Amino acid sequence: MTNLQIEMAIASILLLIIIIISLKKNTISIKNSIAWLLLPVFFLLIAIFPEPLTTLSSWLGFETLSNFIFLIAIALLIMLCFFHTITISRQQNQITKLIQEMSILKQKENKNGKTK
Amino acid sequence: MSNKVLLIIPAYNEELSLIKTMQSITETKYDYIIINDGSTDKTPDIINEQHYNHINLINNLGIGGAVQTGYKYAYENDYDIAIQVDADGQHDISYLQDLIQPILGQKADLVIGSCFVSKDPKNQRSSKIRRLGIRFLSATFKLFSGKRIYDPTSGFRAANRRVIERFANNYPLEYPEPISNYELLRSNDFKIKEVPVKMNKRTAGKSSIHSWKSIYAAINVFLSIIIISLGRKKHD
Repeated sequence: MTNLQIEMAIASILLLIIIIISLKKNTISIKNSIAWLLLPVFFLLIAIFPEPLTTLSSWLGFETLSNFIFLIAIALLIMLCFFHTITISRQQNQITKLIQEMSILKQKENKNGKTK
Repeated sequence: MSNKVLLIIPAYNEELSLIKTMQSITETKYDYIIINDGSTDKTPDIINEQHYNHINLINNLGIGGAVQTGYKYAYENDYDIAIQVDADGQHDISYLQDLIQPILGQKADLVIGSCFVSKDPKNQRSSKIRRLGIRFLSATFKLFSGKRIYDPTSGFRAANRRVIERFANNYPLEYPEPISNYELLRSNDFKIKEVPVKMNKRTAGKSSIHSWKSIYAAINVFLSIIIISLGRKKHD
């Protein structure tokens, strides 16, 4: 194993541990953890078995394997970010609805309270 | 059958103009609801002292979310016509009948009070830049939908029951007037009519459109028009 492989394996395992601790503490939901779990597992596999990726990398025309890995990492991060934006937009709509309905309800309650 | 009319008055930090606006509104004898959008000045105190009918939003939502709350209230309380009126006194209450008439005559589902229908320069408001922006927006509407709205940003609008229902369920959060006008225009399901009105000079406060934000506004509205033209799915 090269140094790079060992570093990558250690980093992946560390990330994996952080995610599992967060899951145990229930600070992230199972649903939202799946993307984050796949990431270190994928990088751990690359660290242990770099050959298929090396072949693919040179076949696609990358000069070094590290460039290819950077590209994959950035692409994954952009994807993750985009999914977060989708979630934020949806939640913004949900929160707006909640504030509106809640405020209307409160107004109703106040009015009823006064007429009693 | 008499039609129930509701005036929707969104208010965000309007302590300087609210009482004056409300004096002219209470004279009309129409029902009204003030939507206090989490004001941080004395607006809530004024509302309580004067016992105005109001909804306090438990959190600031911005103009779109505030006005939509009014439409939801109108829908739940079975109003036939809802009219948006700004709290800053820009909208001249004496034109309410002009806005309501086309709906009563079933000539329109949405009536926009517009200060650009009439060519009289005295009836036109605001800065040159703003007028130019509105002209450009109006041209964009025409380009993408084939129909003309002279004052697509006017917040002085009357909606019938069908539009109330639509707005209660679907209303843009940002730049709601031009975007919702365009959505109705594109849907081909609603009749939109513009009637000439005169706008008063703002008695106090600043317009929510600031100059440095106008580029963002232009991009936002322009993008909205394109996406709506492509056929945007609505929220459930």
